[in-house]
Amino acid sequence: MSDITRSRVGIVGAGTMGTGIAITAIRAGFPTTLTDSASEALPVARDHVDRFLEKSVQRSKLTEVDRHAALDRLSLTEDFERLADCDIVIESISEDLSAKQELFRGLGEYVPEETVYVTNTSTLSVTAISAGAIRPDRLVGMHFCNPAPLMHLVEVVDGMLTSATTHALALEFAQALGKTAVEVKDSPGFIVNRLLIPFENSCIRELEHGTATVEDIDRAVRFGLRYPMGPFQLLDTVGMDVHRAVSLSLFEQLRDPAFAPPPLVDQMIAVGHLGRKTGRGFYRYDEPGMFGT
Amino acid sequence: MTRETTLRVGILGYGTMGAGIAQVAAAAGCRVVVVDTGEEALERGSVLLLQSVQQAVERGKLTDDAADAVLGRVETVTDSRALSDCEIVIETVTELYDVKAAALEEISSYVDREAIIATNTSSLSVTALAVNVSNPGRFAGLHFFNPAPVMRLVEIIPGMDTAVETAGRLRSWAAEVGKEPVIVKDQPGFLVNAVLMPYLNQAVRELDRGLASAEDIDIAVRLGLGYPKGPLELMDLIGLDTHLHATTSAYEETADARFAPPPMLRRLVAAGRLGKKTGSGLRPEKGDE
Repeated sequence: MSDITRSRVGIVGAGTMGTGIAITAIRAGFPTTLTDSASEALPVARDHVDRFLEKSVQRSKLTEVDRHAALDRLSLTEDFERLADCDIVIESISEDLSAKQELFRGLGEYVPEETVYVTNTSTLSVTAISAGAIRPDRLVGMHFCNPAPLMHLVEVVDGMLTSATTHALALEFAQALGKTAVEVKDSPGFIVNRLLIPFENSCIRELEHGTATVEDIDRAVRFGLRYPMGPFQLLDTVGMDVHRAVSLSLFEQLRDPAFAPPPLVDQMIAVGHLGRKTGRGFYRYDEPGMFGT
Repeated sequence: MTRETTLRVGILGYGTMGAGIAQVAAAAGCRVVVVDTGEEALERGSVLLLQSVQQAVERGKLTDDAADAVLGRVETVTDSRALSDCEIVIETVTELYDVKAAALEEISSYVDREAIIATNTSSLSVTALAVNVSNPGRFAGLHFFNPAPVMRLVEIIPGMDTAVETAGRLRSWAAEVGKEPVIVKDQPGFLVNAVLMPYLNQAVRELDRGLASAEDIDIAVRLGLGYPKGPLELMDLIGLDTHLHATTSAYEETADARFAPPPMLRRLVAAGRLGKKTGSGLRPEKGDE
C-alpha cells in the first residue's frame, strides 16, 4: 500500500463506535465496508449514518453533493469475506479480549498479508489482542473517542510486536481521517481513560462522603476547572454500567485502588439508574437517549 | 445588585486575590474598603487592581465609565477599624496559619458581631481558623479562584460552628456579584483542589513512567476530554512549587496516597524548574524539544 489515501477500509462491529468510525472514514473519502455478524445491527447502523449526515447538512457542515458521495462510499454487509479487498481492517466489537483475539486470528483467513489490522480497544492491551494473530506486526491500536465523527483525538498504540511500518501507517491514516494522533504506550486506559477514570471515581467518592451535592460538584468542576461537563453529567451520558466495566477492567490490570468503582456505582446499577439511557442516573431525564445518536 | 448603596464589603490584604475580589465586589456595585499593613502594600494592590480593570476594559467586559466607577468604589486604608461598618469582611492575607490567625484575631474586635467574616484560604481548615474570631457562627470560608474577576466559581466552606444562615448569606452574595457559588465541606482542598490534585499528580507519574510525551498527554486531554488545558501545561502555569506545597500539605493531613507528591515533581522543583515563571517545567521549552 503506497498511498494511504487510496486505502479501502473495513470495519468489524457496527455498534456506536464502529458506525462512528465508518462515518469518519466515508466523509474523509475512504470506500468503507461496515460488517457485523448480527443482522439486526446493520439497519440500525445505516439509520444512524443517514441521520448523522442529514444533521451535518442541516448544520452546513456538509453539502448535499458530498452527503451523497459519502453515502455511496459505504457498504454494509454481514459477510466477513467482503473484507478481503480492504487495506485497513478496524475491529470495533465488544471489549472482550478472547473475542477480539479470535476475530483477528480468523481475519487472517480472508484478508491479504499486507492488510493493516487496527483495534479500537479502549481498555485492553494491544499486545494481548495481537497474541495469536497471523501477522501481529501488522496490528496496531487506534483508540477513537466517542462520538468518533466529532472528536478529533486518536490514540495510536503499538503492541509489543507492532512494526515501525505499521505504526507509521496508523499515524498517516489518522491524519488522512482528519484526526490528531497521539502516540501512547500499550498501558491500561492509554492517556484519556487513565486520567479520566480516577478523576470520575474521586468525584463519586466526594459525593459519597457528602463533600457537596451532585449539582454543586458539577458546577464546581465546570466553573472552577472549565471542563465542558461536570463529572456526573458525563457519567450519566456514558452510562454507569459502562463506567463500571471500564473502571473494573483498569483496576484489574493496574491493581490501583484509584480505578476501583466506588460502591455507589453498584448501588445505582442495582436500581437501574444507569444515566440518560434509562431516564435516570445522577439526574432525571424526560427523554432517554444516547450521546451521539 | 439591588442593595447598591447599602452593602459595604471589607477586604483584608491587597495582594492578587484581595485586588481581584475587590474588583468583583465593586463591579457589582458594592462599596469596598481594603485594609493592608502599610502605604506600600496598598500602593502595590492599587496597581494590581488598576491593571486588572484595564484588562477588563480591553476585553470589552467593562466600559470606560464602568471602570471608573469600579475604581471609585474602592477605598484603601491602613487602619482595620475602617472595617467596623462592613457587612462582609473577606480575609485574603498570606496563606500561612499564623499570619491568618493574627489578622483574624485583630479584625474580630472591630468587625460588627452581625457581620460575616470570611476567609479566602485555599488550603487551611476553616474550622481551625474559626477559633481566632469572636463569633464563629458568622465565620466561613469563601474561596475565590485566581484570577477572581474571570473565574466564576466560588466555594463556600462552612466550618464546624458556622451558622447555616451565614453560608446562605454568603451564597446569595456570591450569586449577586455574578459568581457561581457552591457549598463544600471543610476538608483539605475543599472540592476543586481535592479532585484536581490527584489528577495532576497522576499525570506527572504517567509522564515519569513514559506513557506518552508531555505534549501528547496535554493534547490527548484537550482533544479527548475538552478540557481548556492539559494537566502538564496547567501545572507549569500554577507553578510546580505551588502545586508541590499544596499536595504535600493535603497528603500530610489525609495520608491519602493520591495526594503523595510524585518524585518527578520534587526533582523538577529541586532543579529550579518551576514552570512558566522560571521558563521551564514539565513541558520542554520550544527551543530544547
